Amino acid sequence: MADRFAPGARVRTFRHDPPHHTRLPRYARGKRGVVVEPEGRAELADVSAQGHGDAPVEQVYAVRFAARDLWGEGDHHVVLDLWESYLEEVRDDER
Amino acid sequence: MARINDVGGMQGFGAVDTTDDTEPFHADWEARVVGLFNALRAQGMFNTNEFRDAIESMPAKEYLAASYYERWFTAICALLERKGVIEPGELDEQGEPTEQGEPAGLEARERAEQGESAELEARDG
Amino acid sequence: MSGDHHDDALISRRVRRLETLLEERGVLSGGALDEAIDAFLAQSSPANGARVVARAWVDPSFKSRLLADGTAAVQELGYMEGSYQRLRVVENTESVHNVIVCTLCSCYPLRLLGPSPSWYKSESYRSRVVREPRAVLAEFGLALPAGTEIAVWDSSAETRYMVLPRRPADTESFPEEELAARVTRNALIGTAAV
Repeated sequence: MADRFAPGARVRTFRHDPPHHTRLPRYARGKRGVVVEPEGRAELADVSAQGHGDAPVEQVYAVRFAARDLWGEGDHHVVLDLWESYLEEVRDDER
Repeated sequence: MARINDVGGMQGFGAVDTTDDTEPFHADWEARVVGLFNALRAQGMFNTNEFRDAIESMPAKEYLAASYYERWFTAICALLERKGVIEPGELDEQGEPTEQGEPAGLEARERAEQGESAELEARDG
Repeated sequence: MSGDHHDDALISRRVRRLETLLEERGVLSGGALDEAIDAFLAQSSPANGARVVARAWVDPSFKSRLLADGTAAVQELGYMEGSYQRLRVVENTESVHNVIVCTLCSCYPLRLLGPSPSWYKSESYRSRVVREPRAVLAEFGLALPAGTEIAVWDSSAETRYMVLPRRPADTESFPEEELAARVTRNALIGTAAV
């Protein structure tokens, strides 16, 4: 299956706040970042954590966030490893 | 809702104690717990995500009060109970009457909260 | 630090009772646990990461392979064989400093760095290094120039990160083993320079 996002793609994380295990920390929910690279496919942790043997397998991406976008200030970057279904595309006409 | 493990960006945990540990484990039981985790995961008793989920599902106050490998042990026990391998309470000390007539497990727990922690603190410091 | 107030003797007995129960029920065989512990300790040490760094410093082609595909490169040296995890090595340069964390739990390149230090697993480090890395690094005694860009790698999936520190200037004549001896665990996490 082809990767949905290429390196350099602008993405936004979902704002979801699930009642179960997830690997999208709350500080990075609903935030815009840039894909660094694909990391390889892995079972979606949210489903795998429930002990099901049939968790969907998705591409995981390293996604880079500017501190300013996460915290409103700061000049560092934070990179997170995020499953494809945590991410949506940011359209070109979005500022 | 976010769980207690999800601490990125939270205030209030204070300065980092940068003391370097010279030994991989502070007590033999910590190594046993790591061994339990590795052996049980290797045989498919649970996967790493289930294990993380079990740690995060600890009540927030217990999570913060527990040491790192205590969290691991709590999670291993919770998963083994969920899978029907052990029964709740099975690891408690039973049948050993104490001075107060309380089960030894309870008595030891109270002791841990009072006098004996002083010695442990001194050693950890 | 959490966990200072608990009774080692009490939990130690509970762990032993669990081991006994699992053996009685045929879930674990007698020596399985000792084997798991020995295997873990035998293949997990910060000396491994230090050797990888020293090799990268003396061998430019190894260094490019290491930065391109960390897992494959360290497997050349016999590390991380059979691991389901991926290793990504991030290089410190004059302009960029990298530091590793796991805010959600304690993900860490165990095979290359051994069991992690207590501070790495602490809520203080995990909560703050993504928010104010410069202040946290200062607490480790690492003062970075104002212009240095900081990248914080928050391991949230199956990739494990290791920092390739900058080689100290005065070490041109050093043999590889001596270089490796200079590399500390904190330098491999990014909370120290070499």
